[in-house]
Amino acid sequence: MTEHDSKLNILAPIETRPRLDRLERLVRRSGGGRMTRAEALGLGGLALLAAAGCGGKTSTGGGGGASSSGAADPLAGKPMESNLVIYNWSQYDDPSTYKSFKTENHVAIKETYYSSNDELLAKLQAGGTGYDIIVPSQNAVGELVQLGSLMKLDKALIPNASAVESSWVKTSYDPTGEYKVVKDFGVTGFFYNNKIVTEKPTTMKQFYDLLPKYGKVGRTNLLDGAEEVVPLALMALGYDPNTGDPAVLDKAKSFLLSIRSGVTTIDSSNYINDASAGKIILGQGWNGDMRRIVSARKKKGDDITAVLPQGASEKWADNWCIPASAPDPVAAHAWINHLCDPAVAVKEMEYHNYPIPIQAALDQAPAELKNDTLFNVPTSYTDHYKFILNPSAEIVNARTQIYTAFQSA
Amino acid sequence: MTTETVQPPKRSPRRRSFAPRYPGWLTAPSLIYYMIFFLGPLAILVVFSVATQAGFGSVSYTFSTSQFKALNDPLYIKVFRQTMLMAAGGTALTIAIGYPVAYWMSRYLTRYKTLALLLVIVPFWTSFLIRTYALKIILDPQGYLAHFVEWTGISNQFNVLYTGKAVAIGLAYNYLPLLILPVYASLERMDWKLVEAATDLGASPFKAFRQITLPLTLPGLITGALLVFIPMCGEYVVPQLLGGGQFAFVGTVIGSNFLGAQNWPFGSAMAIAFMVLLSIFVVIYIAFATREEQFGA
Repeated sequence: MTEHDSKLNILAPIETRPRLDRLERLVRRSGGGRMTRAEALGLGGLALLAAAGCGGKTSTGGGGGASSSGAADPLAGKPMESNLVIYNWSQYDDPSTYKSFKTENHVAIKETYYSSNDELLAKLQAGGTGYDIIVPSQNAVGELVQLGSLMKLDKALIPNASAVESSWVKTSYDPTGEYKVVKDFGVTGFFYNNKIVTEKPTTMKQFYDLLPKYGKVGRTNLLDGAEEVVPLALMALGYDPNTGDPAVLDKAKSFLLSIRSGVTTIDSSNYINDASAGKIILGQGWNGDMRRIVSARKKKGDDITAVLPQGASEKWADNWCIPASAPDPVAAHAWINHLCDPAVAVKEMEYHNYPIPIQAALDQAPAELKNDTLFNVPTSYTDHYKFILNPSAEIVNARTQIYTAFQSA
Repeated sequence: MTTETVQPPKRSPRRRSFAPRYPGWLTAPSLIYYMIFFLGPLAILVVFSVATQAGFGSVSYTFSTSQFKALNDPLYIKVFRQTMLMAAGGTALTIAIGYPVAYWMSRYLTRYKTLALLLVIVPFWTSFLIRTYALKIILDPQGYLAHFVEWTGISNQFNVLYTGKAVAIGLAYNYLPLLILPVYASLERMDWKLVEAATDLGASPFKAFRQITLPLTLPGLITGALLVFIPMCGEYVVPQLLGGGQFAFVGTVIGSNFLGAQNWPFGSAMAIAFMVLLSIFVVIYIAFATREEQFGA
């Protein structure tokens, strides 16, 4: 899940975020619904432009230089600090997790929030320090590693992390597996109204090919943002989502333009509600959101089928990372270790509804979660899925240009 | 022909004023605010626009026109054109709705004039975002308006949401008071005896409107039209929400360059170029605003 929250990026000053969040929480709780991360982001996204606007800018390499936790082990045996500063997506962790961490470690936690990876990167690049824990998505981890802004994790202080499934340790955005512990993950699939769409598509390519036909029948939706639209199309065509090859990008562009007339909306923040109300007949979606859509339609004709695509699609991961400049590194490691405790991880999953790749925790998860492939996506799928990264500024610019052409077509 | 000119009688350069004079430095707080929060960011934008991108969200400060050259691409020219066409459509719709309302308020209402004025402004007190979301519900193809339209048989498929029509309706609705107020003001200041005189002399009501009312209120109308046209060009929320994200307004593209691509120089260049383009309209606006002052119509 990358910068899909570019929907409502203006309007509210950043100081109003906590209040908006509280309001949103109240509304959600009283409505009995569980908030998805995308919704939290959509709301939080309001504050984004303000933040980006005043983020200012520094040249690369800000952040006090890369830490060199090389031969000697500077953290082993050091005492636990008394503070922990977390910079996180809002409402992304169970309140009980904070409580149990505080009682176990006697550490005071301070948490502030961001609503997109761009906001996080802008903050760190503008020289923002003082954070012990950050939660970047895979593409941002890649950038931060390049910039030397992340601390190499001391795995001796995170014994619980050894339980993380091996396929989520050494990843394409962190090949050595030294800079992050995966917090949770998700994938991108699609859903369709099975009363209207009769073809039973199973791959992303088949999904795209149906758009021109069904765009005339009802509303179709693609996830928005250059970083979704272009790489997803590349994967459907069988290419590397992170390619910078101009010829291949051109193919993706002409493919996208060829299906453009079949796309009614390009939206990532309202589609859950609209699809739950039965307004979308064919659309892309993130697995967690699609679970909600399917369960919302259960009582209303059970007309939505959600598909985890065969072949290539997107997988994303949010990650626990420690900035190189973290003032409380021991407490930060303890925090990550705490979150990898299976008992804590189960509560976390029940709270945010995204899987944590720790088998012991998944085994203890409620049956309705662990037996649902839309939640517990089998590795037979994720093994074929790829991370969408930001390999270079040129590639991202090229994607943005294609996306603009797609939008304005 | 003689070149002799008659000098107009010179007015004394300064009339004696009995108003108290305050020291000019009292404006310092306002000026400082203006400089820090308006001119400062603008200067930063200009500096960015001539810089080049040196990786994600990082800028190397040079003087380069490469960003502006990159803008001269059929794609971005198309985005500029589409934006201005949509804004022009929205402005036309706003005039079509706003002018008659202003006329009615000024000409037909006496007791309830203030109340009507209040009713025009009241929706403006609600958040822009909420009003736009409300329109989404109203324009929904399964909403009440759709049922009503289908029931009356005007159209059997009410498909407005996520089309250009919805964007135009959203633009017109959100900016309507900004047009009604200046038009209303110029109608209020108009001397209706002129219209009476015209009809006495045999002009049809339409002719009287065309030859008297319209020219006299034109400055107000143009002022109002530009007052709505310019912000409509910079619109970001309405095309996202009501257009379903499938209309690339300049604001949307600037947003995706700043936030998605972290390409601040290009986003800045686009903002500056569009600002220059819109300045042309601002010049027209100023010209008409001064004319209005002179004629007092």
